[in-house]
Amino acid sequence: MLDSFEILHTSGVVLWSRSYAPVGAHIINSLIRDVFIEERIVPQPDDAGQRPTYRKEGHTLKWTAAKDLGLIFVAVYQSLVHLTWIDKLLENIRALFIGLYGDQLKKHHTSVVNCDKFGPYFERQIQELEGANDGASSATPNVKLTPPSSADNDSAEESALKPPVLQQQQQPLSDTSADSTPIPTPDTSRPTTPAQSHLLTAKSRPGAKLSRRDKKKVAVGNSAPASSGDEASARRKGKALAKKNRTWTEFGADEEDPSLILDYSQSDLRDDASEAEALEEINPESWGRKTGKGQFVLKDLDDEMDQIIAEQNAKKGVSSQASGIVGSSLGAIGGLFRNVVGGKTLTKEDLAKSLKGMEEHLLQKNVAREAAVRLCESVERDLVGLKTGNFTTIESTIRTSMEKALTKILTPTSSLDLLREIQAVNGSGRPYVLSIVGVNGVGKSTNLSKIAFFLLQNHHRVLIAAADTFRSGAVEQLGVHVRNLKELSKREGGEVDLFQKGYGLDAANIAAEAVTFAAKNNFDVVLIDTAGRRHNDQRLMSSLEKFGKLAKPDKILMVGEALVGTDSVAQARNFNASFGPGRGLDGFVISKCDTVGDMVGTLVSMVHATGIPVVFLGVGQHYADLRGLNVDNVCRLLMS
Amino acid sequence: MAWYDKDSWLTAALAPTPSTIALTLFVALVLPILVHLFLYRQAAPTALPTFVLVGPSGGGKTALLTLAERKTVAQTHTSTAPLAIEALLPSDVVPASSHYRAPGDPAYERARRFLLLDTPGHGKLRHFATTQLINPTNVRGIIFVVDAASVAEEAGLNEAAEYLHDVLLALQKRYTGAPTSKGPKAIPVLIAANKLDLFTALPPHLVRIQLERAVSTVRKSRAKGLKDSGVALGGEDDGLDQEREWLGEGGEGHFEFQHMEEVGTGVVVKGGNVIGGDGTDVKSWFEWIGAQL
Ligand SMILES: Nc1nc2c(ncn2[C@@H]2O[C@H](COP(=O)(O)OP(=O)(O)OP(=O)(O)O)[C@@H](O)[C@H]2O)c(=O)[nH]1
Ligand SMILES: [Mg+2]
Repeated sequence: MLDSFEILHTSGVVLWSRSYAPVGAHIINSLIRDVFIEERIVPQPDDAGQRPTYRKEGHTLKWTAAKDLGLIFVAVYQSLVHLTWIDKLLENIRALFIGLYGDQLKKHHTSVVNCDKFGPYFERQIQELEGANDGASSATPNVKLTPPSSADNDSAEESALKPPVLQQQQQPLSDTSADSTPIPTPDTSRPTTPAQSHLLTAKSRPGAKLSRRDKKKVAVGNSAPASSGDEASARRKGKALAKKNRTWTEFGADEEDPSLILDYSQSDLRDDASEAEALEEINPESWGRKTGKGQFVLKDLDDEMDQIIAEQNAKKGVSSQASGIVGSSLGAIGGLFRNVVGGKTLTKEDLAKSLKGMEEHLLQKNVAREAAVRLCESVERDLVGLKTGNFTTIESTIRTSMEKALTKILTPTSSLDLLREIQAVNGSGRPYVLSIVGVNGVGKSTNLSKIAFFLLQNHHRVLIAAADTFRSGAVEQLGVHVRNLKELSKREGGEVDLFQKGYGLDAANIAAEAVTFAAKNNFDVVLIDTAGRRHNDQRLMSSLEKFGKLAKPDKILMVGEALVGTDSVAQARNFNASFGPGRGLDGFVISKCDTVGDMVGTLVSMVHATGIPVVFLGVGQHYADLRGLNVDNVCRLLMS
Repeated sequence: MAWYDKDSWLTAALAPTPSTIALTLFVALVLPILVHLFLYRQAAPTALPTFVLVGPSGGGKTALLTLAERKTVAQTHTSTAPLAIEALLPSDVVPASSHYRAPGDPAYERARRFLLLDTPGHGKLRHFATTQLINPTNVRGIIFVVDAASVAEEAGLNEAAEYLHDVLLALQKRYTGAPTSKGPKAIPVLIAANKLDLFTALPPHLVRIQLERAVSTVRKSRAKGLKDSGVALGGEDDGLDQEREWLGEGGEGHFEFQHMEEVGTGVVVKGGNVIGGDGTDVKSWFEWIGAQL
């Protein structure tokens, strides 16, 4: 069963909500954070059939958005139950809500959308979709949206309705699952009549739309097995249907006995005329009660709802058609004009060409293809359905949006303040442990020394641990760095020492020993250098997990080269995953940034692959050539 | 018919015939008007005084915004986009500029109107707020909404302090970077210590002390921190970027909000709660807004 449904604005204001079970606000908040802001979960494109889902604390969330109006529709339900109609619900509610309140939403300087009256619409949608799904669980759930049909379509529909009768009996499970949370209703005793009353009242309205017929047919199809099938399934079916129309007793149930009514409905399938006769009897009554009774309000809603949804869908259809067919003469000229002047509503097709260009541009900047594609997709998601501003072309609109996307991806959620963290950890009476990992030859030792130099400048006592017991010469290399740093520390202050155990021993043990040694000897910071390893070397990568467990670093940074191309994505991913569950990288150091000019795409690729921020950039040969990340500047380089 | 013929269209277009003159006049007069209409149709009709809501995520900015607009609080979630609303000062608060006016005077009613601009507080989305600070249009004040309960913990305090530091630094830069010696119009800051209804919340004076302490730490570690990559990666080296600026008096010692007075930014801390068992208490904040109007 649905737990909660919310319609919220991108500004954070909840416009409308309905909840059936308490759902903490933090659940939707974390959906917004993880999916919309940090984009850690990339939603699949809409046309892939199923909508993407997000899971949190036993809840499953599905959502859809109306970009141009800044709306997000979220449905929350228990992960244990399997609800197939949520997609449809989201779609219908979106169409309904936009159709009803679209004008209000376009107003400026207000967050108020007067939608108190949305409740009944929503309830009806739920009832209908749930009903349609309970009954013909195998039939398509979008019965409601099949276009108004002509006579021959009807007969096709008719024959299509036969199979559900069989499937009904084969699938009692789907019924029970729906029954496990029955809505309390007094009329469970008369299984078949609801469908009938539904049918009659629907027909009795003079303005009833054709599409009502289709739905009615399904309802009839549903009721059929109740009379022909076995007892148990009939009972169950009855409950499910009763849910659908609680108020049926008001109309005609007292007058006729169930089997008779069933006859009517059956004959209706074949003969419209006899049905019309049956309707005549009830008509006057229905007119009289029209305003007073809930049933009729519902019927009005149904019609209105169908109309709105159809309208919204038609709009969608037209806009996509216009760009296809009318795009020949006048449309093309107008489109060109609006492309220059602005005010054009963007479609996928409009964007495709410019986005391709943008993708090429990013690739030239050394952004991995995967990351470039994702950025372009996120821009596309951002822009489709939007209007270009006055006097802005598609290209410049894409540019602005891309800059925004880059800023968002590169900006860390919370900035790293190494000095303060060190202070906090030292305050708790132990040394701060930072370790560095990466593939061979990317400059791990060099960047480790740069960080050591920075810490020395801040008068820390630093211990450098040589945990690269693998590559010959590694320990000596680090020794040289430490000698240089000692020399420098005379001038800068601070103190530095090397912790080493030669070659061949287990790196994780050495690291752990170094930490103990540092704690005993009053060092503030331990910097651990590790052996370089190929990220696809299973054996070496797996040893990292033990390393993480024994040394318990406060921070694990990965060094990546700015020069590396497509490989960066795989590197970042594999290293991030190598520390076992619950532990990952904390940041990237990108080395050799001075050698690539404006081709700084590696930064984007690595962040894209993991969502982990770049914290340091190596920009030269000297110990002082370490920098923090300036997001604006990098974005400018990438867009230039 | 060649173009130089007497009655060819080209000749007619260049000849001083009445119709040509009329057409030319028409085009010359109407076109600018049309362009004007086209451009300004959607421009904001009025420039109301604006107050910007900033602060870390979950502080209650959006909740406050809905309260200001509709007198009741709507349910909210994490914001991903900014939103401006037009609000009216509550009737018991008098705008500073209208003390002598009688209620009911249209000018008085007009003076009570203002725009409230909500910005997302998530770390990745703060550029919406910072662009407002770099180029403030009609901004009369900044309301830094902070959860007084989260400030009691180290992590929450640090996040708030870092954001606050950046906001104050941006205001200081705007002041010192202004071309005139007098400096631009001051933009005061209200630190709204929200959620005082929670029993874990710190009282406003403690919020003030804690924030001052934490901003000092942020300032210190920024001073010691690494330079950013701007210049090294081919950013324009105009000397100005390189010269880093410190918040407050020379960036030394303990930071106090009072130091901001020198750069034309008054900072006050006031407590309140948007939601709460015993109703809302946001009077002091609205009084502050009234004092800036
Ligand atoms: N107890 C209590 N809760 C409050 C108060 N004010 C706001 N909240 C709650 O705090 C939560 C966050 O409020 P929002 O207004 O959405 O936070 P925000 O500052 O807009 O956060 P972002 O949009 O993420 O920047 C909401 O669930 C509010 O109900 C208050 O005074 N007391
Ligand atoms: Mg908000």
